[in-house]
Amino acid sequence: MKPDLLQMVESGGCSAKISPKQLEEILKRLPLPDDPNILVNVETHDDAGVYRVNDDLALVFTTDFFPPVCSDPYEFGQIAATNSISDIYAMGGDPVIALNIMMFPAAKLPLEVYAEILKGGSDKASEAGVKIIGGHTIDDFPPKYGLAVVGYIHPDRIIANTGASPGDSIVLTKPVGTGIILAGQRLGITDGNDIAEAKKLMKQLNRQGAEVMKKYSIKGATDITGFGLAGHALKMAKASNVSININMRKVSLIGGTYNLVDEGCIPGASFRNLDFVENDSHLGKNLDYNLKMIACDAQTSGGLLISVPCDKTEALVKDLHEAGLQYSTIIGDVSEKKHKFLYLKN
Amino acid sequence: MVINNKKPNTKYYLFYVVKFQSLPFYFKQLFKLFTSLVLLQTNNRQEMRIVDVKGQQCPAPIIATKKALKESEKGEAFKVLTDNQTSLNNLTRFLMDNKTEFSVDEADGVWTLIITKNVSATSIAEVENYCTPAASVFPKGDFVIAITSDRMGDGSDELGHLLIGNFIKTIKDLDLLPRKIIFYNKGVTLVSDESPFLRHIKDLEKMGVELLICATCVDYYSLDGKIEAGILSNMFVIADALASAGNVVRP
Repeated sequence: MKPDLLQMVESGGCSAKISPKQLEEILKRLPLPDDPNILVNVETHDDAGVYRVNDDLALVFTTDFFPPVCSDPYEFGQIAATNSISDIYAMGGDPVIALNIMMFPAAKLPLEVYAEILKGGSDKASEAGVKIIGGHTIDDFPPKYGLAVVGYIHPDRIIANTGASPGDSIVLTKPVGTGIILAGQRLGITDGNDIAEAKKLMKQLNRQGAEVMKKYSIKGATDITGFGLAGHALKMAKASNVSININMRKVSLIGGTYNLVDEGCIPGASFRNLDFVENDSHLGKNLDYNLKMIACDAQTSGGLLISVPCDKTEALVKDLHEAGLQYSTIIGDVSEKKHKFLYLKN
Repeated sequence: MVINNKKPNTKYYLFYVVKFQSLPFYFKQLFKLFTSLVLLQTNNRQEMRIVDVKGQQCPAPIIATKKALKESEKGEAFKVLTDNQTSLNNLTRFLMDNKTEFSVDEADGVWTLIITKNVSATSIAEVENYCTPAASVFPKGDFVIAITSDRMGDGSDELGHLLIGNFIKTIKDLDLLPRKIIFYNKGVTLVSDESPFLRHIKDLEKMGVELLICATCVDYYSLDGKIEAGILSNMFVIADALASAGNVVRP
């Protein structure tokens, strides 16, 4: 019998991220390296760093790894790799090479599990056209896996989280709810179809979304992961110095997500994210509590949050649908910086 | 000593100190005390439901609490026991956000929350609404006020802004209140959550003055979701209110 990876962790996937509030504090204390070739650094909390090689080429560089989000090692490998590569797509880059990062309890788990995780990661990397050219493993429990990925990008075509402009629409390409669905799965209260749907979404590369973004010369986007829709939207609003307004009723949800939250299935990460966003956000008194917590739900391998000029929105959404991202919807807009950076309503 | 750390039960504790000199008796009493405590616990359970989520991590404690809330009658209280600081923080945050009354007590690393299911938030709003008919004690004149700007009069913008605030505040002191106050164009900013005069406008609403807010204008000034008083209205409602009024006052 295969070991059930999901039962080894309290919080899997991007829910295991350190609190964004603490992270912000810590990063503030680090000196920023000074080099004119650094085009994107940690200052704007973007998805990846970007380093210019010459006038036509820059490298997009990112890493992500986390504990299991599902029971099956092969699927875990696929999801972790999809999530790691996603940051390259969110910046508008083409992923090229990667290294495996693995923590694995060799004495506790059969090595077959190790091989399965790597196989899942390798297969997903191939699908994305990424060559895995090395890696590093240390002995640790529970297992953790991810990639460090390098991508190519033209220095003038970076899609950064600083690129949201007043008047833009905000489009989201995947439904949200993976954190809630997975927390419910661990307690045995999530519907089997919803688990399958969540896994399918987490394994879906953001490549198609990135291609559509490039076609429309999008300037601002980010991907939704551990800080939730609200956390990443806030980071983009801050980096762009604008206000982002989101109508939570427009956001697609995975299957029974709303009902799970209504039963109280709110993962701890949602509270951490709420704590991070609330000072800079207007969470209206009429905002439905469950929708508020869904906005704060940590996503694993979530969709792209795209800031698109108003006149291109319809065509972009149509293209996203045609590319197979059928849940893509306009969920809000961007305005000049108002009192707060993020406005959530329903 | 064990007893000392437990929830205080003064009666038994004193009894036990008095009888301390006699060892066999002490054991007998301890046994009695133990059985009493067990009984007490059972009685408590009958009186107040206990939701024990010790050893559980989020979201399990919140699910259990929410279930108990759903199953409780209004005004009924129950206890939640947790030994996890994060669970406690998340629980209290959850209860505060949902405006649920609770108290917390800590002993031996276990937190006891006593949670009272209160009248739900919607019911509170209903009560407030039901209260407004009583507000008809404030007599109304046959006039409406149209507030079309965030200023009063021409000249200095700063002065105009102060004047309109003073005007709104003063309406409350009129012998006859307006039937309605209509806010349109820049006037809608006065009803937003950032308006310094919002308190007075809300007072007027409580006094039974109907507030009509131009929805198109709210949209235009990007105040969606930030309007804190009144009813969002379309042009027909506004035109009808203006046309049917005996007098329209425009400050």
